[in-house]
Amino acid sequence: MVITRLTVVLTVLAVAVILYGSVQAFDQPSQDSGQKRADIIKIDGMKSFGNLERSGVVFLHDLHTSALQKVDKDCTACHLSDNSKLSLKFKRLKDTSKNEVMNIYHDNCISCHVEVAGKGDKSGPTTCGECHVKTSAYVASGQPPTFDKSLHYRHSKSQENKCELCHHEYDNSTKKLIYKEGQEGSCRYCHKDVNEENRMSMKSASHIACIDCHQKTLKNKMEAGPVQCGGCHDPDSPNTINRTDIKNIVDVPRMERKQPDFTMVKTDVNDKEQKGVMDSVPFDHKAHEGYNDSCIVCHHKDLTSCSSCHSIEGKKEGGFISLEQVMHNPDAKESCVGCHESKKKDKDCAGCHELMGKHSNNSSNCGKCHMEQVGNMKEATTSHKSKTDKSARLAEMMLKSRTPITATYNDEDIPEKILIKDLSNKYEPVEFPHRKIVKALVNNINNNKLASYFHAEKGTICQGCHHNTPPGKQPPRCVSCHVKQAQDKGSFKIGLMGAYHLQCMGCHKEMGMEKPVSCTDCHKEKAHEPKK
Amino acid sequence: MSISRRKFLGLIGSAGVGTAVSNSVFAASNKHFTGYPESFAVLHDSVRCVGCRQCEEACNKVNDLPEPDQPFSDASVLDKKRRTTAKAYTVVNRHDRAKDGIAPVFNKTQCNHCLEPACASACFVKAFKKTKTGAVTYDASVCVGCRYCMMACPFDIPAYEYDNALSPKVVKCTMCQPRILEGKLPGCVESCPREALVFGKRDDLIKIARNRIARYPKNYVDHIYGEHEMGGTSWMYLSGVAFQKIGMREDLGIKPAPELTSGALSVVPMVAALWPVLLTGVYAITKRKEKIENEEKNQAVNSAIKATKAVAELKIGEALAKAEKEQEEIVEKAVKSAVDNAVKANTEEAA
Ligand code: SF4
Ligand code: SF4
Ligand code: SF4
Repeated sequence: MVITRLTVVLTVLAVAVILYGSVQAFDQPSQDSGQKRADIIKIDGMKSFGNLERSGVVFLHDLHTSALQKVDKDCTACHLSDNSKLSLKFKRLKDTSKNEVMNIYHDNCISCHVEVAGKGDKSGPTTCGECHVKTSAYVASGQPPTFDKSLHYRHSKSQENKCELCHHEYDNSTKKLIYKEGQEGSCRYCHKDVNEENRMSMKSASHIACIDCHQKTLKNKMEAGPVQCGGCHDPDSPNTINRTDIKNIVDVPRMERKQPDFTMVKTDVNDKEQKGVMDSVPFDHKAHEGYNDSCIVCHHKDLTSCSSCHSIEGKKEGGFISLEQVMHNPDAKESCVGCHESKKKDKDCAGCHELMGKHSNNSSNCGKCHMEQVGNMKEATTSHKSKTDKSARLAEMMLKSRTPITATYNDEDIPEKILIKDLSNKYEPVEFPHRKIVKALVNNINNNKLASYFHAEKGTICQGCHHNTPPGKQPPRCVSCHVKQAQDKGSFKIGLMGAYHLQCMGCHKEMGMEKPVSCTDCHKEKAHEPKK
Repeated sequence: MSISRRKFLGLIGSAGVGTAVSNSVFAASNKHFTGYPESFAVLHDSVRCVGCRQCEEACNKVNDLPEPDQPFSDASVLDKKRRTTAKAYTVVNRHDRAKDGIAPVFNKTQCNHCLEPACASACFVKAFKKTKTGAVTYDASVCVGCRYCMMACPFDIPAYEYDNALSPKVVKCTMCQPRILEGKLPGCVESCPREALVFGKRDDLIKIARNRIARYPKNYVDHIYGEHEMGGTSWMYLSGVAFQKIGMREDLGIKPAPELTSGALSVVPMVAALWPVLLTGVYAITKRKEKIENEEKNQAVNSAIKATKAVAELKIGEALAKAEKEQEEIVEKAVKSAVDNAVKANTEEAA
């Protein structure tokens, strides 16, 4: 009796704990259910006036645009205009008060739905709960579009290089937008994620400018860009800015901003002699334009040179981030090292590099970029007058002196096969096709300029597996560092079995190879010994 | 053999002793035990694990467990979620993560050898013990088969030999304590071809785990499961996806089990405080009688429980009823607010 009572009490307590846990753990709305749409707009702007009383409303914009088109109505059915520019807000130019905004939605949405339904057509909800649902049947799948070089080229071509149609700058003295030829930069240099002072957010600016122009073009019965959400925001739709037939323009002409083809990146711009600092880096600007989708990848703030904001000691304009830091930050996509690091994720590189972990660079690589000036280049450049020309010419010569080849030893120096007998108590020994693998690794990166340049030394490619040892023709075998027992107790260095499996399987996985899926893909089943 | 009623009354009568003991129990649990220095632990890295089940096979072998229904090489075993049983101290489960666009993740489950084990704090006869090696050991000879440990374990680990009609035991991973004492690695650790299991001093393993997270930041969630969960465990985990997604509870908090139970129990005045004391008292008395054989001991405990029941009913029946009612109300309230909170949290998240 007593026991039962107490047990009940304890059980209830336990249940309370379990219940609390399970509600948290398992009752979360699933992110994966629901139909994906790129045109979802969440109507919850009233949040700025305080907490919402009911859940925000999921609004399908393209659904409405199409429905209105069918009855010959256009954007003005919902959007008012100000100075001939459509407001992005629904039936108003700005948000006045919570009640007013709420009423605008309630009155207009419901009355239109009622009207349409009255005509016997398919219509939208008219009761509160139909719009204000807690979990929507739709999932937003819209993606921010990228205005890449190809798209830019298509625009400048169709607009006959009238850059001023889109590009402008704000003139503080006249308080007007003006156009400055030759200084066109990315919209993002001024238009940020949110409205700032008198500057529109990128979102507003692009929606107003792009759609407005597309619409006008359409009215003139000409081919134009998208006017519906999905046209720009749906990455999966073939009928959008992602259209493969026009996207694949090869060799998009260069954007001319008076940028150099080649340049020497100085490590200290104030030091003319470049003494006591790292050697300057010859840089192929033109080639790098081709590697990237737009200038903003490197020129993240404006189109000036890196050193105008980042100096050797760091200055205010550059957020006190020194030139050394901006060039070498492995996690920043704008930095040289950061971008090169990200290339190691390519399938052909990842097999070796992913296993090396973060920051697998070593200091012997510095000289690869900070090249010593070779021979009599200085004299060779004397014929060039301006400093920029000289620096460009020097950089070009130094870069041309490089011979990017992926090198390795001659075939006869690379063991062809290696028999790994370590698990032969369970399986047949593994015949490891050593030379074939070396050759495959070399071939994979032979056409990759970046990789070839960094693997020019014969032993470098070997170091993918024979890591932590100096490059050489006869690197030590795995067992010389990895002990045979299961785990190197105490030192925690990986044991031999772990080393093999992690290295082989890790590389296969990173290189996207399907095998092995089971042990016997590498270890042949042991042949039964014939009975005597 | 059985304990006389008089002795029991005497025991109950010394209520002062009872409360004194209980106070010291609560006082002790206020201090968080961070594990024996130098104690051993195992780190399971689910990023490395490939679900080959060599560890299961090794565990089966070193512990002399019965042949499994399906051979260890049969990959179809992984199609179903399994938990530890009396015949498998450890199981590897596959968690499909196609939704996240990644390959399946494998996770190994066995006793986590908590630093402050819930099983031990729930066990009236102290069959479970956290040892200095790090292993939580189980002493079948004192176990009365109440299975409170199974209820108490937040990881759902201890299993019961229901098949064994004569002397069923509670079973769980031993951390291969006997092997450790011989200087060997736990069976599963030794067999893992990917070194997804690492055995060593708990402090060292935490450093290794941190190192891996730092060296491969994109591959790992920045968390070592078991470093603090439930006050810390001697079996710790690394993962590349949220631990919840590979079947691990993320709602446990970092408070050790005894602290939680003492909190819960402290709201029950006297009764709960006395109850374990009564039973331990009973056990102590039986233990003192060294002549009593093993089965007799069980019998003794059983009759002691009966006797206690009678005494308690007699002496504190009313008090208990009152306390129980209060307790129920408290629990009801706790449940309600817990559920409310959870629901609220969910709606907030959904909004
Ligand atoms: S042996 Fe290692 S890799 Fe295989 S299932 Fe067990 S923990 Fe995972
Ligand atoms: S995991 Fe469960 S059985 Fe293992 S020590 Fe912790 S509470 Fe006890
Ligand atoms: S430590 Fe020993 S008992 Fe525990 S799972 Fe590993 S092999 Fe089994």
